[in-house]
Amino acid sequence: MPAFCEGGWSAAASANRVGDFFGGKGGGKLSYGMATAETGLLSAQLLGQLERLELVSRKIYRGRMKGERRSPRRGQSVEFADFRNYVPGDDIRFVDWNTYARLDKLFLKLFLEEEDLHFYALIDASPSMDFGQPTKLQFAKQLAAALGFVGLARADRVRIETLGQAAEQPAPVLRGRRSLWRMLEYLEGIQPEERASLEEGVRNFCLRNSGQGIVVLISDLMDKGGYQSALRYLLAQRMDIYIIHVLSREEMDPGIQGELRLVDCEDAEVAEVTASAPLLARYRETLNAFLEGAREFCTRRGMSYVLAPNEVAIEEFVAQYLRRQGLVR
Amino acid sequence: MFPEWTNMLHGWQWLVLGLVPLAIVALYFLKLKRQPLEVPSTYLWRKSIEDLHVNSLWQRLRRSLLLWLQLLLLLLIAMALLNPSWRATRLGGNRFIFVIDNSASMNAEDMVNAAGKATRLTVARQRVEQLMDAMRTGDAAMIISFSDTANVVKEFTTDQRDLRRALDGLQPTSRRTSFSGALRLAAGLANPGRIGNPEDEDEAAADALPAKMFVFSDFKLPEVADFSLGNLDPQLEMVGQPGSVNVGIVNFSTRRHPQRSDQVQALARLENFGPQPVTVTLELFLNGQSIDVQEARIPGEDAADPGQNFAQVAFTLDDVEAGVLRLVSDYPDALPVDDQAWAVVNPPRRTRVLFVSAGNTAFEQALRTSKSQELAEVRFAAPDILGREDYRREAAAGRYDLVIYDRCQPQEMPRCNTLWIGRLPMDGRWKFGNRIDLPQIIDTERTHPLMQLLDLGNLDILESLEVQPPAGGTMLIESQGGAIFALAPREGFEDAVLGFEFQSTDEEGKDYYNTNWPRRRSFPVFVQEVIHHLANSEGKRASAAVAPGQTYELHWPEGPDQLAITAPDGTRFTVRRNPQNRYSFSQTDQLGVYQVQDGQSSHRFAVNLFDPLESDIEPVAGEAVRIGNVQVAVSSKPQGQVARIEVWKLLALLGLGVLLLEWYIYNRRVYV
Repeated sequence: MPAFCEGGWSAAASANRVGDFFGGKGGGKLSYGMATAETGLLSAQLLGQLERLELVSRKIYRGRMKGERRSPRRGQSVEFADFRNYVPGDDIRFVDWNTYARLDKLFLKLFLEEEDLHFYALIDASPSMDFGQPTKLQFAKQLAAALGFVGLARADRVRIETLGQAAEQPAPVLRGRRSLWRMLEYLEGIQPEERASLEEGVRNFCLRNSGQGIVVLISDLMDKGGYQSALRYLLAQRMDIYIIHVLSREEMDPGIQGELRLVDCEDAEVAEVTASAPLLARYRETLNAFLEGAREFCTRRGMSYVLAPNEVAIEEFVAQYLRRQGLVR
Repeated sequence: MFPEWTNMLHGWQWLVLGLVPLAIVALYFLKLKRQPLEVPSTYLWRKSIEDLHVNSLWQRLRRSLLLWLQLLLLLLIAMALLNPSWRATRLGGNRFIFVIDNSASMNAEDMVNAAGKATRLTVARQRVEQLMDAMRTGDAAMIISFSDTANVVKEFTTDQRDLRRALDGLQPTSRRTSFSGALRLAAGLANPGRIGNPEDEDEAAADALPAKMFVFSDFKLPEVADFSLGNLDPQLEMVGQPGSVNVGIVNFSTRRHPQRSDQVQALARLENFGPQPVTVTLELFLNGQSIDVQEARIPGEDAADPGQNFAQVAFTLDDVEAGVLRLVSDYPDALPVDDQAWAVVNPPRRTRVLFVSAGNTAFEQALRTSKSQELAEVRFAAPDILGREDYRREAAAGRYDLVIYDRCQPQEMPRCNTLWIGRLPMDGRWKFGNRIDLPQIIDTERTHPLMQLLDLGNLDILESLEVQPPAGGTMLIESQGGAIFALAPREGFEDAVLGFEFQSTDEEGKDYYNTNWPRRRSFPVFVQEVIHHLANSEGKRASAAVAPGQTYELHWPEGPDQLAITAPDGTRFTVRRNPQNRYSFSQTDQLGVYQVQDGQSSHRFAVNLFDPLESDIEPVAGEAVRIGNVQVAVSSKPQGQVARIEVWKLLALLGLGVLLLEWYIYNRRVYV
């Protein structure tokens, strides 16, 4: 722990330590279709893998602090950008004296500014995320942790929020490797107990965060009010938007039978069904139509849509699914 | 046909059973308390079942399919408990013999079936088919038909299609009825004979196979004596309509007019087998052309005065040398086969008679009359001819139609009919009994053609010997001391023996007349009849009636090796001469006239039913038929034990099927 705080650790050593630190928190309750089995969010191996990655934005945004990314602002990097006429008040340190000597005119040398990237992970922590093995929420946390670590490692500005984030308890803004601990601690604290709807959560998020950058919404999109209005809020932010659609195996292939009263875990709504082969076939049709609708909605509006079955290992998901989508490289 | 229901439960049990469907329905609704299951979201489920709600009524029905199946199962169980059944004829046992009468009387069209009027044989066939329907798989049956002979139509088989095919092929005949042959055929299968020592029980030839015998007939048949049913279980079923009326021609014959040889008399005898007197119009055809019509009134059958229900009709025909006569009765009755009869007038042919005598003036004179000469070519010879070679050759070759031995005996019997006067045939079968002095004639066999026209009331005979014919012989004249004239068959011939001589020689060697018969008018008639009957001259000309199925025999010493016989339907048969110089033809199933052709000449003979037993089609309902020593009741209702065809097993099987279906549906959830 002290070594971690001091930051003088090698990648391999820190991975072990992180693993050790969170490894003991396993175990949990098991019941049909829902589980809260908790494991370490990031393994040492995954951390090593993530260190080589960086978040990619398809747009160039202005950052707030100096970072490692090109900014539309002219700044003080070593990379030359342009000349412009000197106007009084300009910092004479940037006057190009060689040009002055030759042309007898004052030109200011402009350099590209390198700034930080704003990365937002928005996690749906509604009770419906508490299903699956591992739970969808666990998957979402792991994914947020992984992407957050990538951002932290590249000195980006990382902020992880939940849809039901209370305005009086804003999520911490994280920057730098040293913030990993805080990020993980914050993620561990997220419980699947939030009752905010998708639209409400996204709207609040947009109100709180007006900046530009990458936003990754990790949700099952199972909102009875529909996901479209929520995503439109995000679109209005002109952010680089990624929708990670997490679904559990129980949702994609429900192996239920018999006369059942299905109770919605969020609003306790009841659907009485006689689970039979035709009904299950019809459910699959509906599910496919739902997934296809979400994909099309996102693709048409320039959002990246990734379907994430909760059973896919997070290493594989980051390395393959997200890489293919261009979120990381 | 509605099923019969048998209540197998008490009232309270039905009450309990009635509660079960209510319980099932109640349980069904209780069962609908579905098991709760928490899911992440009912969002997609709602969307999924929304489509199904569009046709929700049908869905609801489908969803309650299990309920309906359970109720159906219960209904089947309840019906099985009610044990519905149909009355049906079930045959006891597993081996059956169907015996069907196809004699002439079974052609009577007095039955009614689904298609309308039907003959008795058709109905009998249908009854057999009904019984076959009641046969179970593996039951074996055979079919026997009988008329005057019995035929196995189909041997024992379990193949019902074979049996039905054989049954369809069963044709009616015009034959008479004899039941015993069919019984013996059937018994042969049910009571197999034994081999070896009958006291040793191990040596039975085959297992006795008890069989149920169903007989379909009108039972107008002679009693069957001397028969034991053994393993046969007879069921006699009457096929026939009581009160059936029939008028039949029971005889039709021709003979030349005694005085005018160019005239032919056709005599018909009709009998009325109904209680009411009827008037019948008879039409006579000669070679297909109508030549005469007569009306006859026939009294009805009267139990108080039996034997009066007949009428005789005589037609006199001029200038008929030869031809075919057909007599048709127009009375509309149920049996058509006896409504017409045929007779044949053949051109006369002289027969050959040899008269061997040491002297019999009266007989010789009678044979020399022009009438006798017209009928026969008579050769007179003294007894010494019997030792001559030419006689022996001719007698052995059947050169003669009749040889009359007057007080003499040949060394061997000739191959022809014989008449012996005062001597016995030397084949050892005949015997003379006591000597009868002044025999008084007590009785004559008037039914025999030889005696038909004779009145022997004023006949005196000095002495005679009693004639004892062999078995099968017929006594023609009987006196107080026994028979003095008898007739007996011998290898297809007939021998007649007169026990008294006409001319005798006393001890002193003087001839004297032993009888005054030559002075009586009956004598020339007797000689004529001897020529007619024994020399068969009449038979050659207008052959005696041949019954259907009976063998037609023609004795023709100089005939060709083979004859061609054409049946009424045009079928041709070839008949070869047998060693007795006879031609035997037995394919006489069709009624009508048969043409006999020998190359140069031809003659005909007629086959007629002429059987009052067959023509009397009134069945003997309600009575019993005697078979051996057993009286077997005749029923007029379908035979076989009435059994219930129960369907509870089928219902139980159906219920099992429904149960399996329900199980399948429950497990596979093939419904929504």
